[in-house]
Amino acid sequence: MRINHHPSDETLARFAAGTLSAGPALVVSVHLEGCPVCRDRLGRFEAVGGAMLDDMPPAPLAADLFGRTMERLAIAQPSPARRPFTRRQSALGFELPKAMRDCEIGPWRWLGPGFRWSKVRIAGSPDAKVMLLKGRAGLHLPAHGHSGREFMQILSGSLSDERGRYVPGDLDEADDDVDHRPVVGREADCICLAALEGDTRLHGLLGRLLRPLVGF
Amino acid sequence: MNEARQEETIPSPGELIRLIEAVARERDRNAFKRLFTYFAPRVKSFLLRSGLADPLAEDVTQEVMIAIWHKASYFDPRQAGVSTWVFTIARNQRIDRLRRMRSRPGDILVDPSDRPDVSPSSEDIAIVEEREEGVRKALSSLPTEQATIVRLSFFAEKPHAEIARELGIPLGTVKSRVRLALNRLRTLLDND
Ligand SMILES: [Zn+2]
Repeated sequence: MRINHHPSDETLARFAAGTLSAGPALVVSVHLEGCPVCRDRLGRFEAVGGAMLDDMPPAPLAADLFGRTMERLAIAQPSPARRPFTRRQSALGFELPKAMRDCEIGPWRWLGPGFRWSKVRIAGSPDAKVMLLKGRAGLHLPAHGHSGREFMQILSGSLSDERGRYVPGDLDEADDDVDHRPVVGREADCICLAALEGDTRLHGLLGRLLRPLVGF
Repeated sequence: MNEARQEETIPSPGELIRLIEAVARERDRNAFKRLFTYFAPRVKSFLLRSGLADPLAEDVTQEVMIAIWHKASYFDPRQAGVSTWVFTIARNQRIDRLRRMRSRPGDILVDPSDRPDVSPSSEDIAIVEEREEGVRKALSSLPTEQATIVRLSFFAEKPHAEIARELGIPLGTVKSRVRLALNRLRTLLDND
């Protein structure tokens, strides 16, 4: 399907720089998996990083750093091949994107009529606010706003709001100036991966529903 | 080998590729030493600027150099220049270290280098070199203030409030200027 919604320049630049936090970075990784356009954009921002590295004023190093590095090289083996998968992943009834293979995935839990969520945990980033959401075909989600940025990648089905229609492969970034009332497409259930940035909070009924359950 | 002389000569992009290939194919220690002399001080500088304190920055710098040694055979000159490739390794090692420091015992960590593979393209080295050259030109043609904003906000993990303080402009202005600077950079990147 044709991808119409991509991460912003700011988001891709921060991803390239390694300064996008773990939750949004996971959502962007899933988008990149399916979007050659953004892989090319990312390559350009990474080249900006390469040019900046060349321009860095050299920092002084400990005099014996090269020697110590060679000693570590002599004993260090190349990092072992990826260990077999040992994360707990609940079967959710669909195939997870590759970028999520190291996440811990909780079971579907009830959030409202026709509305389910599953907790996603990223190793080393226990505070990341990430989840999978599933809405029944035709479901009207409660209107909500955010006090920060929300990242959402559609995995299956479709979602529409006042700003447009989102299909599998699309990534939506909703800023704090967005108040929306998403509706699930009638053709199928919709599954999406959502992350909230930093101390983002959801306002409205959706926020009140999620906060006690999800903790944010 | 005269170390002082090595410091002075900055290897060209083509020479960097030859050095990486010498490390990959022949485990050439002299080639690695030249890469070390050029990259280690710059990588450390990048890590310091992105907020790692000194003993840690030097330790991660070592890990970056070790990763270059082990991953040299995976370097693909059709995808990126050497400096860009080293930048992504440094970025990933930094993320990895920060996550390891925060993780719980028993956690298996996401290897950040496992971010989606860029599918091999038919672009040859010349096209990549041209692209990287274009990026360099784009950067140098940004007005100083915009270049500073790009640098501070995307390569130093600075909160907007801190950038505002550093540049002496109101916080509200920073957000719109960041967007403006990036738009300009993006336009320049698209025109290469
Ligand atoms: Zn895209």
